[in-house]
Amino acid sequence: MEEPGSLEIELNTNYGTQKAGNDFIAPWVELEYGATGWWTTEFYLDSQATLNDSTLFTGFRWENRFRPLMREHWINPVLYVEYEHISGADKTLREVVGFDNQFDFSEPNSALRKEHNHEIETKLILSSDYKGWNISENFIGEKNLGHQPWEFGYAWGVSRPLRLAATSERCNFCTENFVVGAEMYGGLGTAARLTLSGTSHYFAPLVAWELPNGVSFTVSPGFGLNDNSHRLLLRWGVSYEISGFGRKVRSLFR
Amino acid sequence: MKRPRPLIPVLLLVASLTAAVAGAAPDKEQATDDRGVLLAIAQAPAKARESKNPYEGDPDAVLAGKKLYLQHCAECHGKNGSGMRDAVNLRSPQVQNATAGELVWFLRNGNLRHGMPSWSGLPEERRWQIVTYLKSLR
Repeated sequence: MEEPGSLEIELNTNYGTQKAGNDFIAPWVELEYGATGWWTTEFYLDSQATLNDSTLFTGFRWENRFRPLMREHWINPVLYVEYEHISGADKTLREVVGFDNQFDFSEPNSALRKEHNHEIETKLILSSDYKGWNISENFIGEKNLGHQPWEFGYAWGVSRPLRLAATSERCNFCTENFVVGAEMYGGLGTAARLTLSGTSHYFAPLVAWELPNGVSFTVSPGFGLNDNSHRLLLRWGVSYEISGFGRKVRSLFR
Repeated sequence: MKRPRPLIPVLLLVASLTAAVAGAAPDKEQATDDRGVLLAIAQAPAKARESKNPYEGDPDAVLAGKKLYLQHCAECHGKNGSGMRDAVNLRSPQVQNATAGELVWFLRNGNLRHGMPSWSGLPEERRWQIVTYLKSLR
């Protein structure tokens, strides 16, 4: 969850290899705002460029995350609701659901962009912190509002700072600023056919570098685990947090 | 396929962000227990209250805690901890009379309804370092 009143601006990119088609690069911008201690809202703008094809804006998403429990527990749930207005050419692949697979992107952008998806995505995020490790499990349900069945997916991950205690000096390259981890994500079929068969799955180690000035860098190469998966999905991003953004905006109107 | 209209979700988004920015101000919660400690902190369970600070008396932990404090806390509580707007004065008896264990429990849980976020994402060692610094402000 984002701290109340803070705005995080993120620029992320997903590079994907394509077996039956052209490789692609899909950048997206995220604006994440901590509305309260228990509510974070986030807005996304997606785009993509496909090699030997075209570059295009593919849509927007609006996400809200809520913490239903006001205290910390062994497992801390977060409820996630996202509205997506994206075209079939969206290749950000922020999550994998249903029978999503690499052949979905084998057509040219001119064909893919004709499909308009109007979707609601829900997640139950279960998160635990134990001895510096963060363990997170996501159960994803996505509904295309155009009379399509519910599609399901999962993601789980673990991460940990390289050093748990902080050093006494401000530093950029000390180990406390680096977080390492791994995640796994994939589809689970649809409400009509809940299965692993025909779905795609990925395993992705990740490294994050969190600088004291609020800038963070992340990189995560995701490796496809079966023939339905892209061979490689390389995600990287940079973010900057503006603490007290809400207070600064409010002060403009006083 | 019929193209859906984005107008309604966009309006909802703008209304939501406006409400979020306007409504993010934390409330004041000044009730205290018989030691004069803020109730939000004093409700820590006995086990947490009696936890011993592993960094007590460690001058490096004070410096590390100060660094973390400036990074994560100073935006609301001020650079010297004396509080700003609705964020409490961390030098006051309402905070300083609490045990280190209560403060580290409070940092982990926050007071989400009143603007104090949970810092459970920070490793426990760093929360203790922040508390070590806070106790040095007395």
